[in-house]
Amino acid sequence: MRPRKILRIGRWEVTKNAGGIDRKTAAVVGATLLVLGAAVPLVLAQGGVTLDEGFYRVGVAEESPLYPVVEDDPTFAVRDSDAELGSAIDLQIDGTQVVASDTQKGQAALAELRGSVDSYNDRVMAGESNQSAAFPVTVTLEYAERNRTIAPADGGDGTTGDGATGGGAGDQGGSDDGGGDGTTGDGGDGSDGGTTGGTTDGGAGGDGATGGGSSGDIGSIARGLTGSDAMTGTPSDISPPFPFQSLILAFLFVIPLNFVIQAYGSTMLSERLNRRGELMLVAPVSRWDIIAGKTLPYFLGAMVFEGAIAGAIIALEPGSGSGAYALLAVVPLVLLFLAATFLGAMFARSFKELTFVTVSITVGLTTYAFVPAIFTDVTPIALVSPLTIVVRDIQGVAIEPLEMAISTVPPLFTATLFFVLGAGLYREEDMFTQRSIPLKVLDSLAGRIRRRRSVALVVVLLMPLVILAELVAVAAVYPISMALPRELWLGLILLAIVVIEEVAKSLPAYAGFVHNRYDRTVRSALTVGALAGLGFFVAEKGLLIVQLLGGLPEVQQAAVVSAGPTAGISPMVALVLLLAPLALHVVTAATSAVGMRSGRQGYAVGLTAAIAIHFVYNFAVVMLVV
Amino acid sequence: MFDDVRVAIARRDIASLSREKTIVLALAIQIFIAAFSSFLVVGLTSLYDPGSVESGELTFGVSGDARDELDEAARSAGVGTEHYPTREAALDAFRRGEVVGVFHAESVDRRTSVTVTVPDSSVQSTLAVVKAQDALEALERDERTRRATHLETQPVPLPPEADASSYFGFTYTVLVPLLLFLPPFISGSVTVDVLTEEIERGTLELLRVAPVSLTDIFDGKALGMAILAPAQALLWIALLVVNGITVTNVLPLLALVSAVALLVVVLGAVLGLLLAQRRQAQLLYSIIALGLFGLAALLPEHPATVAAKLAVGSETTVSTATVLGLSVLAVVLYAAARSYVGTIDPERY
Repeated sequence: MRPRKILRIGRWEVTKNAGGIDRKTAAVVGATLLVLGAAVPLVLAQGGVTLDEGFYRVGVAEESPLYPVVEDDPTFAVRDSDAELGSAIDLQIDGTQVVASDTQKGQAALAELRGSVDSYNDRVMAGESNQSAAFPVTVTLEYAERNRTIAPADGGDGTTGDGATGGGAGDQGGSDDGGGDGTTGDGGDGSDGGTTGGTTDGGAGGDGATGGGSSGDIGSIARGLTGSDAMTGTPSDISPPFPFQSLILAFLFVIPLNFVIQAYGSTMLSERLNRRGELMLVAPVSRWDIIAGKTLPYFLGAMVFEGAIAGAIIALEPGSGSGAYALLAVVPLVLLFLAATFLGAMFARSFKELTFVTVSITVGLTTYAFVPAIFTDVTPIALVSPLTIVVRDIQGVAIEPLEMAISTVPPLFTATLFFVLGAGLYREEDMFTQRSIPLKVLDSLAGRIRRRRSVALVVVLLMPLVILAELVAVAAVYPISMALPRELWLGLILLAIVVIEEVAKSLPAYAGFVHNRYDRTVRSALTVGALAGLGFFVAEKGLLIVQLLGGLPEVQQAAVVSAGPTAGISPMVALVLLLAPLALHVVTAATSAVGMRSGRQGYAVGLTAAIAIHFVYNFAVVMLVV
Repeated sequence: MFDDVRVAIARRDIASLSREKTIVLALAIQIFIAAFSSFLVVGLTSLYDPGSVESGELTFGVSGDARDELDEAARSAGVGTEHYPTREAALDAFRRGEVVGVFHAESVDRRTSVTVTVPDSSVQSTLAVVKAQDALEALERDERTRRATHLETQPVPLPPEADASSYFGFTYTVLVPLLLFLPPFISGSVTVDVLTEEIERGTLELLRVAPVSLTDIFDGKALGMAILAPAQALLWIALLVVNGITVTNVLPLLALVSAVALLVVVLGAVLGLLLAQRRQAQLLYSIIALGLFGLAALLPEHPATVAAKLAVGSETTVSTATVLGLSVLAVVLYAAARSYVGTIDPERY
């Protein structure tokens, strides 16, 4: 790869291609954004989008003391109190007597009403002259670590450790700080503004508002971000330490990527239309120059967006970290989006297909990035996603280098892998012809297979994909696991891992056979299989070393448990346990390799046998160890 | 009734989707999301309502001079308590893990001042804070009642406790609209694709050689994509019903989805023909479609709200009017787009 050529291709991409967004389109985009921007205040003035407006129908007479409650909450639609319960209304209120219809909806409406009554009472009480009677309870919420010396009630060093935020806040008395954060002011005189803030929040927490609630929440971002600090206020003011705002902010980082990959996918696919890319292919540049040059502008463009977002967040959020970690953690995510789109554009046979691929990438990667980040404060497995680092950085939590590595290295490797596989297809035979997808998969793998030992290399290369797939599988099974018996979910996780590993080991070898790089003899199959198994073993041991050095979070160890036990065993046993997985991988890879000599059906049979062997082995080991 | 040419074009586009297995991909994503919907719903709902993660009874340590009142309130809120003589003793028990948190309640200056200590590890602290809040709000109500003579207005009595799933509101107000409006959005996007691809590949010319007008092509392409969205929406509704979520007013919902689909398909088709290049057209399409969805908040009822209300069975005349209005608008715009297509000179591509 030569930088000058890359830069030149990048410049062409900007001037000839992206610049191909002519003045007319640019004008239309500008006008559209302007009109939409002008409409935003209008929409906000309308009270934003309240999805649950008039969601529950309540029959209530005006005399009822509950009438103002129902009227104040937009979730309820006021109906005639004589209407028929169940069909026309969900709640019937007679005086102070509330009857709910005998449906899920009726019960949900009743729960909503309870929350509304609470916040209504708080609002009414805020207007009382005797504030100590209206708000007779004041609460100070403190966080303390267990199994450690506890911070004394007044001051001390506040909260530290993983759940805590804002180390700075802990320097003074924790409770003082919470009050200063502006939850209620100080009870008596300031309670007016304070309580309204508090009740808005109560609505959002309860389950009332969605769009409207969250837009109302923006005023209390600071509190949300400093959620783990000590808080003082009335009972309705305290809120659980949930990184709601940080998550919303982290989501901002993902949104622009979806627009960038759309343009990037189009440009990559349009190279393949009418043999347009042929000119570039015959030019004296390598395919890596072309790919890097065409990707560079989009990467830089995306990073400019992300930088702007990070800058805005840092400027607006007092409690946040430097933003550097957030930006750094976003790099693999940007690359992953681009790499997946590149690979998708190489595989897609039409624009339609590219749209579906882009949607799958958007859905899949957003889920991968976003859903684990929801559990940022809950479980270390959230570190699967780089967004978790972003959330923590916004929260102002210190980030360990190891955590950074766990979050960013797998997606970075995966992005590299996608580019490598896509580059395997960046050639005339695949770009300008209509080949079936399975053949293209094999093509992309076979691009790297030249001799017997290269199968081991490709298996090693596939490792990031394997880890990522395994981690996602574990992350997907984890929440379900709480409801299932232990054997079942353990088996489920193991089965998912075994299938992923066996497919990863055998697919490159299969590509070699299909492309006639290997003889279809038993001996050759055994050698290739053994090499694939060896490659996998080496890569997996690399993981084990990472595990030993870093001490991965507990659940992630489940993903690498087949790598064998770690410590506390005599050297002899350790050696056996170390070599047993090698034998296993060689045997299973050879099994599928022998099967695949005779074509697709043979491959299916061999793979199934390999999966069965591997599963039995893993299950036995886990049952012994656990 | 559409004549054969247009139906043939529509059929060809849909057939190419299934031949390329892209529609299979789309359906696979749909089934995948449905399969994980419980996971997603739990995850997203805990984002939406952290207290929804239920657990068994939590026990708090209680100390301080106002502990009896607190104890009573906690019991009415379903929170277990354990008495300790001093705060230190309670904190000791907390550190040993015997209680999940500590209340220290004292009467200060005519108020009850409660200091709550909860664990720093997060799953527990979220639950503990939610439970503590329940107990403290109950205490606040009790105390208000005790001080009722000092209040000018009396607080409204609390309705009875409900046995409600906290996922209920979320399912209908977020999940259902999201799932119903995603297919139309993709349909519009694919309309941009099918038109710009014919133009960019130069195959539109071939199609023009056949005895069809540009209007026929527009009809066929738009028709194919506009039918796809309600079909997918129907599948979503079926999947939701299988998951135990009752969806009422299926026909009005499908009418709503069809109207929205037709609107965005018209948008996509016009943009595709106007700009003739996928990248520009797609970019503008996404911006405009998302912008229009936001702007729809200016309507008396947002289409997403309409979908939620129809699905849960709380529809109003405004909801029905919105569905009708959108349908009429879609048909009118379709007719307008059709006459615009008639004026396009096919030679321009």
